[in-house]
Amino acid sequence: MRVEHPREYVINNLQYALNPKSIAVVGGSRYSTKVGYKVIDGLQTWGYQGKIYPVNPRADLVAGRKAYKTVKDIPDEIDLAFLAVPAHIVKSVLEDCVAKKVKIVVIATSAFKEIGRGKLQDELTQYCRDNKLPLIGPNLVGMGSPYLNFNCGFIPYLPIKGPVAMISQSGANLLAALGTSQKDHFGMSFFVGLGNKADVDFCEFVAYAGRDEHSKCLAIYIEGLDCPEAFIEACQSVDKPIVTIKVGGSKIGEKAAFAHTASENAGTNDAMYDEIFEKAGAIRATTWQEFLDVSMALGMQPAPKGDNIVMITNGGGSGLLSCDHFERVGMPMHELVEISPSLPGRIRAYMPMFGSPLNPVDISGTASPVQYKGAFTQAIRDPNVHGILGSICPTAVTDVPAVTDIVINIYDTYKHLGKPFIMECQGGEECQEAIMKLRDHGIPAYPTAEQAVNAMHALYKYGQMKNKKK
Amino acid sequence: MSDMHYTLGSDQSLAWKQINCFPPGGYGYAEPGIYATDAAECAAYNVVKSFYQIYPEVWNIDYVAKETGLKEEDIAKRLRRLYDEHLIMFVMNPNVGVYGWGLYYWVVKLKEGTDPKVKEEFIKWYQNKDDICTGYLTEGDFDFFNGDHMRVLDNLLSDVIGPWKNHPAVDHVHLCPIRGDVRESMVNQWHVPEDKYRNFVISDELRQKFLKAQTKIDKDDFAIIEALNSTKSIADMFNFAKLEELSGLDGEQMKKDIIEVVDKRKLMILQIYINYRALGLSLQMYLVRMFQNVPSYRKQEIVSEFMNMPEFVDIFQFGDSFYDCLLSCYAEINDIDAIRKKLENYAEIEEVWVANSKRQFRRWTARLDDENGYWEECVMTDDFLQDWTDPNSVRCPFCKEAEEDK
Repeated sequence: MRVEHPREYVINNLQYALNPKSIAVVGGSRYSTKVGYKVIDGLQTWGYQGKIYPVNPRADLVAGRKAYKTVKDIPDEIDLAFLAVPAHIVKSVLEDCVAKKVKIVVIATSAFKEIGRGKLQDELTQYCRDNKLPLIGPNLVGMGSPYLNFNCGFIPYLPIKGPVAMISQSGANLLAALGTSQKDHFGMSFFVGLGNKADVDFCEFVAYAGRDEHSKCLAIYIEGLDCPEAFIEACQSVDKPIVTIKVGGSKIGEKAAFAHTASENAGTNDAMYDEIFEKAGAIRATTWQEFLDVSMALGMQPAPKGDNIVMITNGGGSGLLSCDHFERVGMPMHELVEISPSLPGRIRAYMPMFGSPLNPVDISGTASPVQYKGAFTQAIRDPNVHGILGSICPTAVTDVPAVTDIVINIYDTYKHLGKPFIMECQGGEECQEAIMKLRDHGIPAYPTAEQAVNAMHALYKYGQMKNKKK
Repeated sequence: MSDMHYTLGSDQSLAWKQINCFPPGGYGYAEPGIYATDAAECAAYNVVKSFYQIYPEVWNIDYVAKETGLKEEDIAKRLRRLYDEHLIMFVMNPNVGVYGWGLYYWVVKLKEGTDPKVKEEFIKWYQNKDDICTGYLTEGDFDFFNGDHMRVLDNLLSDVIGPWKNHPAVDHVHLCPIRGDVRESMVNQWHVPEDKYRNFVISDELRQKFLKAQTKIDKDDFAIIEALNSTKSIADMFNFAKLEELSGLDGEQMKKDIIEVVDKRKLMILQIYINYRALGLSLQMYLVRMFQNVPSYRKQEIVSEFMNMPEFVDIFQFGDSFYDCLLSCYAEINDIDAIRKKLENYAEIEEVWVANSKRQFRRWTARLDDENGYWEECVMTDDFLQDWTDPNSVRCPFCKEAEEDK
């Protein structure tokens, strides 16, 4: 149902969805293969410190804990009720939650509007609104935060700590992001699946993330916006970068989005969403990979003050891929001499005679850690340079770990200058290790030139948007 | 593709059966027009199954009050107690023959003198093996009578029976595929004439004996169970206004759908199961083997005669088996020797094996083992599109290993 404006009571209560002191798991099962068990098991496994109360009218014990017949029977205050029960039980449980003064409910259950039960979904939503009980879902996988060891849902991963608030309408894509987080060191502040978003809408999570101390960037996967105005309002009120990806725009995708999360896209088009995101001040990604890459960069790095980006690489090919892509995305690179007339000369000292002090700066395949260090330092210290894009292309003589350590050291030393530093490491296992290490130290690093360029471009774009806002 | 749909019970379906002289109803035929048990058409069943534990008002108490003369508050209180003490369970039997499963029972005989500890191991395995959706622990001429709904017989043989078939304590295991499900837990099932479908079967004399033989279900409790299990239409069993109130679903639609599913299409039967173990009662089981040269029509006639005997709690008819049927009655309220003699008076019956059961493991996928804390945990398994003869094949989550072994 539509949310005309972000509602304060909802935003306030979202803290109980992401940091509850007590949780009722309604539908808590005795069987380890069932969802209701997985929820409790996940909470325990990942180290949730609050109280867990299984609710199951058939069981005395669930996962070693006393089970209660109804939410009302629990002898404690309940912050969050997580519902993993069939759709036909939800209404009754919501009534119990209202009677129990539960702070927020999350409904994992499917089989509502997406299968034609829109009326029932709307009635339940209205009931919750009438009783000021925020409802997240239905039809979602869950939510959590690595900062609180909180993983609530049927979710096999807890992401690593980091700056990105992941707000997703799709459970599958949220899970993909969570898996990526561990595997590719993509850090998150919190994550949530919104599913059908019957009540709590994007705008309220946007507002919440805006206030969350750990969230530096908002990444939002959208299948449909019920109220674009509320979304725009919320985004405009947040002083953090926002990245969106919108799906369901193709002819068949429109139907698929409805069947998935009851998202209505009829009468909308891509241009309309471009306009919405433009007004909202959000950066729109078109592919999933770009969505993740850009979110990570915006979460980790400041926006450059201008487009004087210097690329330093030991591989001419990687440099060419990059400068072509910079131009493709509408942010052509400038020659080094144009950026800072004396910089080519200073950088020359750190490359062999066959190197190139243009831009990209090719310090050649023989580049040693010392040469990398000199070139990076010269570039970052130059007041005319707005950002650094580094690249490692391993040759037989490239000491990838040493260069990685140098990059981390330089980044830490000159972080106060407020210049973005992005790395590209194209190659084998040692490059993968370097990428992970760099990310762990707050430096967005990618395996391809285009990904790195997209990340830098997004930072630049965000800077432009901020300037415009001022 | 043909534009014929052969929906169950339709004129098309009946005409097809006449022309082809082949009545599906054997093992594992998926019929068109069935509903999955979680389909919207089965909502009434699902709502009641989810709520009757705490809201006895889901039952048609008004109807029960009229039938029994009891006060409505008293009825609700009694139903709540009967559940809380685990004396009853609301259960569903799907008409497996039309759902694409075969219903394969099998009888296990352990060798004489088997160490009780060994039998305990078998008990534990059968209780916890989720594919065994129904099973009885017995003592006498056989030791277990278990059953599975299964689409592929090889899956049963390799995965459910295979693991213990060659155990040194096993004398033999014999398959008993269900040809006719006549009566279960005192309620007539599908393979009865139209006017006997869903009848709750007990005589006045047996009712009196039942009430005397145990102390947990009294006359009024029994009258309530009997009333609910004897409704002419399934719709009379439930309070649809309450179902609507609890679920938010349309009560009228739920009523219409469940009538279609149970009364008209006979896809499933909903009933209240009496947990004989909790009452301290036992089932005397008669495994009947007729001579193989008895013609099928005569075998059917004999089973139809059993159908008219109210002492039988269960009547299963088998095909392609050493045995022809299994009959059970409450041992404590019947003259079990007289029943045996009655059976042996049939010249067509070659042999009757007798055993006594004090414990049922599950009631069609719903666990009955209170002692393990799994009362009414419903575990639905299915071997659809699976090959269990290949140990590396993909399996349904509940068909892998027993919960306790995880």
